[in-house]
Amino acid sequence: MTTTATPADAPTTVARKPVRWGRVAVHLGCLAALLVMLYPLAWLLATSLKPADEVIASLNLLPSHLEWSNYKTALDGVNGVSVWRLLGNSLLIAGGAVVGNVISCSLAAYAFARLRFRFRGPMFAFMIATIMLPHHAVLIPQYIIFNKLGMVNTYWPLILPKFLATEAFFVFLMVQFMRGLPRELEEAARIDGCGPFRSFFQVILPLTRPALITTAIFTFIWTWNDFFTQLIYLFDPDKFTLTLALRSFVDASSQSAFGPMFAMSVIALLPIVLFFLAFQRFLVEGMASSGLKG
Amino acid sequence: MTTTDVPAPTARPPRPAPAAKRRPKREREGAAWVFLSPWVLGAIVLTLLPMAVSLYLSFTDYDLFNPPHWVGLRNYIQMFTQDPRYWRSVVTTLTYVVIAVPLQLALALVVALALKTMRRGKGFYRSAFYAPSLLGASMSVALVWRAVFNDGGTVDNLLGTGGWVNKPGWALVAVALLTVWQFGAPMVIFLAGLQQIPAELYEAAAVDGAGRWRQFLSITVPMLSPVLFFNLVLQTIQAFQAFTPAFAVSGGKGGPADSTLFYTLYLYDRGFVASHMGYASAMAWVLLLVIGAVTAVLFRTSRSWVFYASEGDR
Amino acid sequence: MPGHRTKGFCAAAAALVLSAVLAGCGGSGESAGGGKVVLRYTWWGNPDRAARTEQAVALFEKQHPNVRVQTSFSGYDAYKQKLAIQATGGDAPDVMQLDYRQIDQYASGHVLLDLGKVKGDLRTAEIDPGLLATGRVDGTQYAVPQGRGTETVVYDVKAWKASGVVLPRKGWTWSQWADAVRALVKKTGRPGATDPGQSEDAFEVWLRGQGKALYTNSGGLGFTADDLARWWTFTDRLRREGAVSPAEQTTQLDGSVENTPLGRGKATADFNWDAPSSGYLALVKGGVALAPMPSGEDGTPGQYFKPSMFLGIGAHTGHRKEAAALIDFLLNDRQAAKILGATRGIPVNETIREQTASQLKDFDKTVADFQSSLEGSLKDPPQAPPSGDNALQTTFQRDYDQVSYERMSPRRAAENYVTEAKAELRS
Repeated sequence: MTTTATPADAPTTVARKPVRWGRVAVHLGCLAALLVMLYPLAWLLATSLKPADEVIASLNLLPSHLEWSNYKTALDGVNGVSVWRLLGNSLLIAGGAVVGNVISCSLAAYAFARLRFRFRGPMFAFMIATIMLPHHAVLIPQYIIFNKLGMVNTYWPLILPKFLATEAFFVFLMVQFMRGLPRELEEAARIDGCGPFRSFFQVILPLTRPALITTAIFTFIWTWNDFFTQLIYLFDPDKFTLTLALRSFVDASSQSAFGPMFAMSVIALLPIVLFFLAFQRFLVEGMASSGLKG
Repeated sequence: MTTTDVPAPTARPPRPAPAAKRRPKREREGAAWVFLSPWVLGAIVLTLLPMAVSLYLSFTDYDLFNPPHWVGLRNYIQMFTQDPRYWRSVVTTLTYVVIAVPLQLALALVVALALKTMRRGKGFYRSAFYAPSLLGASMSVALVWRAVFNDGGTVDNLLGTGGWVNKPGWALVAVALLTVWQFGAPMVIFLAGLQQIPAELYEAAAVDGAGRWRQFLSITVPMLSPVLFFNLVLQTIQAFQAFTPAFAVSGGKGGPADSTLFYTLYLYDRGFVASHMGYASAMAWVLLLVIGAVTAVLFRTSRSWVFYASEGDR
Repeated sequence: MPGHRTKGFCAAAAALVLSAVLAGCGGSGESAGGGKVVLRYTWWGNPDRAARTEQAVALFEKQHPNVRVQTSFSGYDAYKQKLAIQATGGDAPDVMQLDYRQIDQYASGHVLLDLGKVKGDLRTAEIDPGLLATGRVDGTQYAVPQGRGTETVVYDVKAWKASGVVLPRKGWTWSQWADAVRALVKKTGRPGATDPGQSEDAFEVWLRGQGKALYTNSGGLGFTADDLARWWTFTDRLRREGAVSPAEQTTQLDGSVENTPLGRGKATADFNWDAPSSGYLALVKGGVALAPMPSGEDGTPGQYFKPSMFLGIGAHTGHRKEAAALIDFLLNDRQAAKILGATRGIPVNETIREQTASQLKDFDKTVADFQSSLEGSLKDPPQAPPSGDNALQTTFQRDYDQVSYERMSPRRAAENYVTEAKAELRS
């Protein structure tokens, strides 16, 4: 454990002590772990190229021959809706959700972490409690509300809740991060005459960027994969998403097309992989690299 | 420190800011409500209202199609005294929580710490370890998982144990491993937390002659504790509510022989398959209370081990 | 300060804001219709059925220029969830496809329109009266069957022939079937069939072969714990002998042919519905054939023609006339029938069934031939099962799991099931 305890961003004078072997061991360990972890992904990828009779029945990793027609079928789209349309819809929903969550959750988190107001204790407790109720129990009341608002079969039920900070997970996450910031930062800002709004935007937000990025990444991926909400609120095939279309290949009552389903999964995976790759690098910057100016 | 108007709820709220030095209290309170306004609106319309409805439904017989009618505590009584499958689902869920949460968190923390020491290839490793979590518990993951843990599957071939997903004693392990495999979310949160630790602290400690192990114990652990606490609370809550991994691996049935019939899976089964939404709502509220109690305990213990920089040394 | 990073971050954030704005705009394009009547029509199925349905609907729109049909489909399980939530929210579609097991619940929950009110627009004269009656609840017609299917013993032709065991034939009994699977395991070394003990459908066939039924006409339980204990003892013994698939195989059934023992190459035969059996063609190298279900020891047939799906109209639709016209078109129009083929089961309209029979190809023809071989020899289908059956179907499997994993005796599991079933049917 001693080797792993060294922070990489610690000043080089300290970290440059010769621990080469330790580093090599860490790399080897990680690679070995990855080999095991990525095996099912390799399986997924390989299966998307298997002919129909090997998709489930065959227990070999590699297909006997590459069945590109799975991808061709998947790229044709579903129910007359092209795969690009589905992709666009997925992007709109996930993108809207990211913006909504980042804005609304950081606002609420700042109030909970740094400001004083009446009923803060009970409201904080209520917010935590909303994470605890299984969402299946509130599904129907929520559906009725959105139906009354005339929002069924639009994207609003999928995006609007994110702008209203209903995902307490992220509020709580940001509260934890903001509480980790030294109080003196704002004290200094306040003495300079900053109100709560300026100190939120200029002091707190930049410093919680790792949490904001984390929120963005998780929101994007989780919204993208959220089959159930999309299923119940979207009616028009034109409005369907990749995640919904994926399931159209599997119908227990007739014949399923598992090969194209796997191909579609791989296609649906690409945008979230790209999103993760694009944003994960921002995770590296935190206070440690941008430094404290206070 | 002036700890004034905050009552002590079960979930301890963050400490209040020290009284403003120049601005009157009213104005700052107003600012707080501006920040909170989206959350308040959402909480009332989209959360509180549906929650109240489901609480009411838990005291009714409601088949989704005909108006609910009041039955008092009947659902609760039936649940506790006449439904052996309910208790089986409780035991299954608790077993799962105890297996999956510590394993997943430990793995996430170890990998996050290992990545932190790296100079090269950090981005690659971070992405690669996160990759399984990108998938969620989609149908394709379920099929892959069954292929890997089936009889004649990869695990069977390597270890000669036979299939796991089709044996009552082992299916739960296969489901738990699916959760553990997707440890990307807590790992990323740990990484973000590690990044937030000011480099100055390590510099100062190094100047004082502290070794790595010492730095880890006296800087990394306390500075990371709010995030560790967050992960612990959230993963525990999510494990109690675990639905998709079991639904995916067992094809929604919770089999074999009810061995992966998690609490929420059974709740879903009662509410949406059997159309006993009243009963399902009662199950949901019992779960809420249990998770609430567990979380309250976690919050209470947190006072002794979670360190918040904003509150100074305590 | 890492300036370039910040820029990249801003660009990414800007892209997101833009997409959110677009998403907002996309949401408001609801009021398309241009003075036309807009019908919402939902169903479950696969992409092939979707393509054919779209074609048929386009034809309907051509014939009825004032109507626009908005279709939507999902896989079966997803569809059931979605429809239930829509119906609960008072938002059921105008025309919906329904399963046998949904009729009772949707009718008594006032989700479905009494079709007597649209008699003039929806002709049912050419549907077999016995089949049509399955869409009736308490004497009121709430739904019309759209296609029919029946259960079958589907088997690996090559393997079965090679084994030398007498082939399945019309009128064979359950004990002859049991002898056959016992002989098969001896000759082929793999179980003869999937363990039918977990299947409520197979149990129903066995029960009907003895002149009994799953449910009474008043929606109560139609059999006793003794009946069920006998059935499970029968299947449990075969399982212990290795003549039918072991619990570890049986538990993997999820509705798809790919996960059946036959589909995985671990058994010679399976029980399934006729049309979905086409899926085995891609999996079983030796080809598959369809045989009738075993009948009772005195030759009483247990299987029946079951509506594979129904069509119903939402009770709150504003366009009942148009909705009825759409259903009428899908059932009775010859051109529509040509387009749809057997994608929703063999057509129920008898004239159309005869006319289209010759045009069917491949497995559709196999299914049509199989059904016509049974024509006239089967008894009328039971009325739609009570809504509690939705839950009981799963309960049945769960209780049999306890038997096949040898945690309970067939007798005790059967008693458990009957207790649970009675509670379910009372509420």
